[in-house]
Amino acid sequence: MAKKSSKKSWPVVISYIILIAYAIATLFPFTWALLVSLTPVTYTDADGNAHGVNIFDWPPNVKLFPRPSAFGAPLTFQNYKLIFEVVPLYGRWLLNTLIYAGLLTIGNLLLDALGGYAFARLKFPLKDMWFTLFLATMMVPGQVTLIPQYNMLVKYGLVNTYTGMFLPKLTNIFGLFLMRQFFLNFPKELEEAARIDGSGILRTYFTIVLPNAMPGVSALAIYTFLGAWNDFQWPLIIASRKEMYTLTVGLNFFKSSYYTYWQYMMAASIFMTIPMIIIFLSFQKQFIETGRAVAVKG
Amino acid sequence: MKHRTKEAIVGYVFSLPIIITVLVFTIYPIITAFYYSVTDYQPLEARKFTYTFNPYESLEINTGILKEEAKDYTIDQMLEWFDPVTFVEIDVGVNLSDEDKESIRKNFDSLNLLSNYREGKLPTEIKISDFMMKYMKSDGERFAKYRPKFVGLDNFKQMFKDTYFYTSISNAFLYSIVVVPIQTLLAIILAVAANSKIRGKNLFKSIFFLPAITSSAALSMIFWLIYSKPGILNQVLLSLFGRFGFQPIDYLNEPGIALFAIMLMNIWSTAGYFMVTFLAGLQDIPSSIYEAAMIDGANGWQTFWKITMPLLRPQIVFVSIMGTIGCMQVFDQIYFLIKNLRNITISFYIYKNAFEYGRMGYASALAVVLFAIILALSLIQRKVVKEEY
Repeated sequence: MAKKSSKKSWPVVISYIILIAYAIATLFPFTWALLVSLTPVTYTDADGNAHGVNIFDWPPNVKLFPRPSAFGAPLTFQNYKLIFEVVPLYGRWLLNTLIYAGLLTIGNLLLDALGGYAFARLKFPLKDMWFTLFLATMMVPGQVTLIPQYNMLVKYGLVNTYTGMFLPKLTNIFGLFLMRQFFLNFPKELEEAARIDGSGILRTYFTIVLPNAMPGVSALAIYTFLGAWNDFQWPLIIASRKEMYTLTVGLNFFKSSYYTYWQYMMAASIFMTIPMIIIFLSFQKQFIETGRAVAVKG
Repeated sequence: MKHRTKEAIVGYVFSLPIIITVLVFTIYPIITAFYYSVTDYQPLEARKFTYTFNPYESLEINTGILKEEAKDYTIDQMLEWFDPVTFVEIDVGVNLSDEDKESIRKNFDSLNLLSNYREGKLPTEIKISDFMMKYMKSDGERFAKYRPKFVGLDNFKQMFKDTYFYTSISNAFLYSIVVVPIQTLLAIILAVAANSKIRGKNLFKSIFFLPAITSSAALSMIFWLIYSKPGILNQVLLSLFGRFGFQPIDYLNEPGIALFAIMLMNIWSTAGYFMVTFLAGLQDIPSSIYEAAMIDGANGWQTFWKITMPLLRPQIVFVSIMGTIGCMQVFDQIYFLIKNLRNITISFYIYKNAFEYGRMGYASALAVVLFAIILALSLIQRKVVKEEY
């Protein structure tokens, strides 16, 4: 018996070793960035002498008692406040990111879900042709459409505007497929019952289908918001005025102008990651489920 | 109305927004990109007709006659001093081809323009395209809309002579060849480990997902810190291997190393994400198969290669295709971290050509090539993985 149980447990032990090792490897860069972001740029000791803090000191001298400190300076959250002062536009960039991600999420929620429902449930002429066409465009890399999209927006004076930023991204074929897949697995009986009761297609959609589609819709919302929040190349191209930067594009500005202030840069990097972590932790199930749905489709 | 007709109408109403945006912002740009790729499209040239100018100032410079004194001269005198071609080319500021010049000589209504000038009837600000439409007796459309020059396959031929094209495309291939297999295998190993009877499965999943929800911009900055010469990676390696003569490496500025440093970061940031895909696949494999294998005396190694891997085929196809598509297009990390043109990838080179060098025709041709490569790779991958099992 003893032999059997040991035979059973060694894969589990190896699994633990692998998982814990990789978890440490995953968390380490974030932890290190967090530590640097909490380290002040300069600090004044009890005798009133100011010291510069070098985050490349080795060893880093991390202490938790009596006060959390590293690199010989007490840890503080002040860098998270200072980034808004050192780069006065940082608040504006945060607002831009919120607007961009918010508008994109609303647009995709409404339009992808509508389209997804039509392609899953309704019969209309040329449906298969459109579907094949959409499928084909997914193979085209973004670099192909980038230049003509940019020129189109230049032509209509939409560069450096919110409209120009979100209009081309208002719908997403990936979102359409996701919603279509969701509605295909959706029990048909509910809609049929509503139809027998004399409810039209429109009314059925808004009163029966949509309220019951919340799991799919929220997964789409989360993915869209996350994608837009972290988007870099499109805002980089479409926002050439500093006032129109998003947080990701603005980060690059930190790098060129404040390259010695690692603390601010790490504070900015961590700052823009925190909302995503909060969203992720609150909607973990949807994240993992969406990843799964996409994989099954592939 | 019949139910079927009604359904068709609602179907179109529902799908019209997405059909329109896809047509306008995806299909049309794809067609345009193919068209650009056989032209010398230059963004600055494209905008030359949309600029506004003050006709009075340009005419004062060209004729040497001040606006206020124009009435003192006769039209014939003014015509003598006025040359429409130099006027448009130099004083208005439009680059002209020989054909354009010919057309201006033939069709420009100098008489009308100068008499308007004399009588002070010109606007003080006008768009070049509107101005040309007004004062060309015919053929004004030539100056209303920018038409890039058709160059046939010149852009594609130029690639053969362009060392940066070779560099950037082979870097993208190298990147994919290194990153995709390692990240896929790592993701499978992690998934198999997480699928065994362990506690805290969800905690591990959440931790591994963390890099996937962090922007590549922030990740680039974090790794910039870690990879910097006095950074922690060198410090740790120094304390471990310093006695064996290890010297700190400037990872991101060393041309032979920089790209590999970014590959490592990419593997690190995506393996955990793809692990979730594999985990879902593993959970769909019925445990009875494993039990049968155990009864037949298969060991863990055999079970992994003979059962787990073949049954994960759909996920392997999916992850390797998604991984390849992502790797061939890697941009953000290169933009942030690569300082050496020898280490750039193709999508960064496309960006540079289009938005820094102002060569959108060439950039579009590069994008078309990238498209062809990605298409071919996806098809090959689908076929190869299918035949292997």
